[in-house]
Amino acid sequence: MHIFPYLIIAAPIIACAFYKWEIRAAGIAAGVADVILSVMIYFQSPFHGVFYVDFTSWIFLVMVSSIYLASTIYSLNYMKDIQVRGISEKTYYALLNLFSASMFFTLLMNNYGFMWVGIEATTICSALLIIGEKSDVSLEAAWRYIILVSAGVAFAFISIILIYYQFHTLNVYDIIHTNPAGGLLERIIVAIALIGFGTKTGVFPVHTWLPDAHSEAPAPVSAMFSGVLLPVALYVLYRIYQIDPFPLLYTWFAVISIAVSSLFLAYQRNYKRMFAYSTMENMNMALLGFAMGGVGVIGALLLLITHSFAKSGAFFSSGNIMKSTGKKNIDEIGGLWKGMPWTSTSLVFSSMAASGAPPFGVFIGEFFILSALAGQNIIQFSIVIFFVMTAFIGVNYNISSMVFRGSSENSEPGWLMTGTAIACAAISLLIGIFLLGGYVNALV
Amino acid sequence: MVVMLNGYVETLMMTLSQYFFVVLTAPLYSGILAKLKAMIESRRGPSIFQPYRDIWKFLRKETLIPRGSGFIFRYGPYVIFGIYSLIALIVPILVPVPIFFTASADFLGGAILFSLAAFIKIASSLESGSNFMSLGAVRTASFIFLSEGTLITVFFAVSLITKTNNPYVTNNFLSANPFQSLTLEHIFATLAFFMLFFYETGKLPLESPGLAELGMIEEGMNYEYSGRLLAINKWSGHMKQYILGSILLNVFLFPWFLQSSFPYFLLDIPIMFLKWMLLIVIVAVIETTLAKMRLFRILDYLATAFTFSILFLAFGVLLG
Amino acid sequence: MNAIENIVFLSAALATVSGFYIQAQEYIRSMVRGQFIQSILIAATIFVLAYAESSIDLVVLGLLVLVLRGYLITELLERRIPGKGSDLREKEIGIASHLLLDLVFIMIGTFIIYSLVFSGINFSIAGNISGGTILVFPLALFFQGLFLIGSRNTTFSQITGYIEEENSLVLFAIFLIPVPLIIEASVFLDVLALVVISSIVVLEKFTHNPLEELRG
Repeated sequence: MHIFPYLIIAAPIIACAFYKWEIRAAGIAAGVADVILSVMIYFQSPFHGVFYVDFTSWIFLVMVSSIYLASTIYSLNYMKDIQVRGISEKTYYALLNLFSASMFFTLLMNNYGFMWVGIEATTICSALLIIGEKSDVSLEAAWRYIILVSAGVAFAFISIILIYYQFHTLNVYDIIHTNPAGGLLERIIVAIALIGFGTKTGVFPVHTWLPDAHSEAPAPVSAMFSGVLLPVALYVLYRIYQIDPFPLLYTWFAVISIAVSSLFLAYQRNYKRMFAYSTMENMNMALLGFAMGGVGVIGALLLLITHSFAKSGAFFSSGNIMKSTGKKNIDEIGGLWKGMPWTSTSLVFSSMAASGAPPFGVFIGEFFILSALAGQNIIQFSIVIFFVMTAFIGVNYNISSMVFRGSSENSEPGWLMTGTAIACAAISLLIGIFLLGGYVNALV
Repeated sequence: MVVMLNGYVETLMMTLSQYFFVVLTAPLYSGILAKLKAMIESRRGPSIFQPYRDIWKFLRKETLIPRGSGFIFRYGPYVIFGIYSLIALIVPILVPVPIFFTASADFLGGAILFSLAAFIKIASSLESGSNFMSLGAVRTASFIFLSEGTLITVFFAVSLITKTNNPYVTNNFLSANPFQSLTLEHIFATLAFFMLFFYETGKLPLESPGLAELGMIEEGMNYEYSGRLLAINKWSGHMKQYILGSILLNVFLFPWFLQSSFPYFLLDIPIMFLKWMLLIVIVAVIETTLAKMRLFRILDYLATAFTFSILFLAFGVLLG
Repeated sequence: MNAIENIVFLSAALATVSGFYIQAQEYIRSMVRGQFIQSILIAATIFVLAYAESSIDLVVLGLLVLVLRGYLITELLERRIPGKGSDLREKEIGIASHLLLDLVFIMIGTFIIYSLVFSGINFSIAGNISGGTILVFPLALFFQGLFLIGSRNTTFSQITGYIEEENSLVLFAIFLIPVPLIIEASVFLDVLALVVISSIVVLEKFTHNPLEELRG
C-alpha cells in the first residue's frame, strides 16, 4: 500500500476546503507538501498497482509540483490588483489547486481510461483560469481552448476503446510490459492518440488553440500551461506510444511541427505568443526524443524539466513587464535593463534556457535527442538543426531588443514576483550546470 | 411458330394496354386528388373529370405564339410528351414484366430521360422572352441540380439492393422478398423519393397550384402557352405525376400484388388504381395539413432529400 | 439479420440522421432539443442491446445516458439560452449548403478512416451484431460533431457539436466493446462538468468570430 500518491492528489483538494478562509496560504502549503512528497516518492519507486510510478513519471511529478508551487507564490501579487476579473480571486486559487490535482491524477493513475479522464479534467479546471483577467479576447481564447482541446481529446478516446478491445484491460503497466506484437491495430491506436492527445501537446495541424490561450491567460496560468500541462499531455501520449513504438509517424509529425512553430515564432509581435510558439517547438522536440527511444528519452526528460522552469521564468518575467508597462507588443517595449534589472536578468536567462543556449539543460537535452536522430535519419536531423537555430535566433533577437534597445522609465513590480521569476531561471541554469558537472557520465 | 407469335401478341397487348392506360388515366388521379382535398376542406370541389375537361377546352381554343419565339417553343411540348411516353414504356408502372421498348433504357436511362424533358422545357420556355416564364425557368434550373441528383441516387440505391439496374428485376425481387425491402438503403431511399415526388409534381409544402407568381415554379413555365400546346403540356404534367407515383408505389413503397401472366394482367388496372388511391390519400392528408414553404426553403428541402438518398447509398457500399 | 440486429441498425442510423437534423437547425432551442432526441435514441439502442445480452452494466449505462445527457445537459443548456430563448437563432445560415458540405465532409472522413483502419481489421463485435460494419454510424456521427463545431459560430452550436462527438463515442464503445462502467461514468461526469464550464462562457460571449489579436 503506497500512501504517497493519495497524499499528492489529496493535498491540493484539501487546500480547496479552505475556500472561505485562507485559500492562498492553503494553496502554498499544499504546493510545498506536494514538492516534498513528489521528491520523496522517488525512494519508493518503481511500483505499480492502482498507481504506476517509475523514473519517467517521477520526473513529471517533480515538475508539476514545483511549477504549481511557483505559480501559486507568483499569483499572490499578480492576481491581487486586477481591474476586471472573469472569476473571483478565491475561485482562481481553488481552480489552480484542482488543476494541479487533476494533473497529478493523470500522471499517477495506472489506467489509460483514467488518464483520459484526467486530461479532460485538466481542461475543465483550467478553462476558466484563462479569463482571470477578463476581456473579449481572453474569453475568445478560453472558448477556443475549451472547444478545440475537448474535441481533439474526444478523438483520443477512440484509441482508449481500441486498447480495451485489443488487450481487455486498461492497465498501463501490464500492457507496456507484455510487449505486444506490433499489429495493425496497435499502429492505429498509436496514430489516433497522436492526433487526439497531440491537440493538447501542440502537434502541428491541431495546435491552433495554443498560442491564443498562452497569450491571453494571466502570467502564472501561462506558466502552468506551458511548463507542465503540455508535458502532462505528452506523458500520456508517451505511455500510449510505448504500446507499439511507431517512430516513422511520430518523428515526422514532430519535425514538421518544429519547423512550423519556428517559422510562426519568427514573426510574432506579442512576446507571450512568441513564448507560446517556443513552447510548442520544445514540446515537439521532446516528442521527437520520446519517439527515438534510448538516449532520446533521457534527452526528452532533461529537456522537459529544464524547459518547465525556464518557460515559467519567461512567463513570470513577461507578467512583470505586463504589470509595470501594460504593453503586449515587442516593438513597444525597449530598454528594460535600466528600470527593471532583475526582471531583465531573469528574462534573458530564461529565454536563453528555453531556446537551448549551451550551459542550460535544454541544450543538453536537445544534444542527446539530435545525436540519437543523426544516427537514424539525416534528413530529419538537418531540418531540425536548421529550425532550432531559427527559433534560437528569433527568440533571443526579440528579447535582446526588448531589454537592451533604447531606454524607458519602468520599475520592478515588487520583490515577490521578481524573486519567483529569478528563482525559476536560476533553477534551470543550475540543472544544466549540475548535469554538465559530471552527472551526464553516470547517466549515459 | 404459333407459340412465338402468341407470345408476340401477348406482349403487344401488354404494351398497348400499359401505354393507353398511362396516357388516358393519368389526368384522372389529379382530379381525384383535387376532389378529395376539397372534401377534406368541406368544399364541394370540382368533378373528378375536371382535368379532362380542361384539356378538351384548351384543345379547342386558339393557339397563340409569342413574337420572336422559335421552333423549340412550338415543338417542345410534343417532344416532352414523347419523352414521357417513352418513359411510360420502360418502367414497371402497370405490367410487371418487360414489354416492347423496355430494353431501350434502364433505371439510369429513365432518370436521364426525366432530366432531358426538364431541359427541353426550360429551353422552350426561355424562347418566349416572357418574364414570368423565365422566372419559372430560372427557379426550376436552380432547384434541378438537387432534384435530378436525388432521382439518380435513389435509383442507384435500389439497384444496389438487387445488384441490377433493371427496374423490372427490382420490382420482382422486392415483391418476392418482402423483408429484404427493410434494408436501411431502401428505407431512406423511399423517404427521399417520397420527398422528391412532392417536389416534382408541385405539391403543397413546396408549390401551391395555380398561377400565383410568388410561389410558382413548374406552372410558370406554362405561362405563355395557350390552346393545343397548353393542353399537351398539362397532359405531360399528369403523365409525369403518374409515372413518378407509380415508380414510388411499385419499386419503393408497395411492390406487391401485380399480375404478370397473360389474361390476368388486365387485373393490374384495378390493382394499380387501388394502390393509387392509397397514395392519393397520403398526399391529400399531407397537402391539407402543411403550409407552403418560402421559396428559398425548397432548396433546403431538396438538400435533405438528397442527403438521405446519398448518405445511405454510400453506407450501403461501405457496409457491403 | 435478426430482429434485434435490425432494430439496432435502424436506431444507429437514426442517430446519424439526427445529426443532420441538428446541423439543419437555425434556432438554438431546436438544436438543444435535437441533442435531446439523439441522446434518447442512443439510450434506446443501449437498452435494446442490454435486453439482447441481458447485461446489467448496459442497463446502468443506458440510464446514465438518459439522465445525464437526455435530462441534465438538455435542461442546463435550455436554461442558459439568453433572452426569451425560443426566438434566438443564428442568422444567415445556408441550410442546403451546410447539409451538402456536411455530407461531403462526413463521407470523406468516414471513408478515409474506415478504409484505412476498419477494413484491414476484422472486428468481432460482441453479442448480436455480426460484423464491424455498424461502426460506420458512430464514425459518421463523430465527423458530424466536428463539422458542427467547425461550421457554426455560436457557443451553443459548438457545445452541441461536442456533445454529439461524445455521443458517438458512447455508441462506438457499446458496439465494439463496452468499456468498464466506472470509466464510462467518469467520462460522463467530465462531459457534464465541461458543459457547465462552457455555459459560464456562454453568458459572457455568445458568438465566436476571428479576432485580429489572435491571428497567426
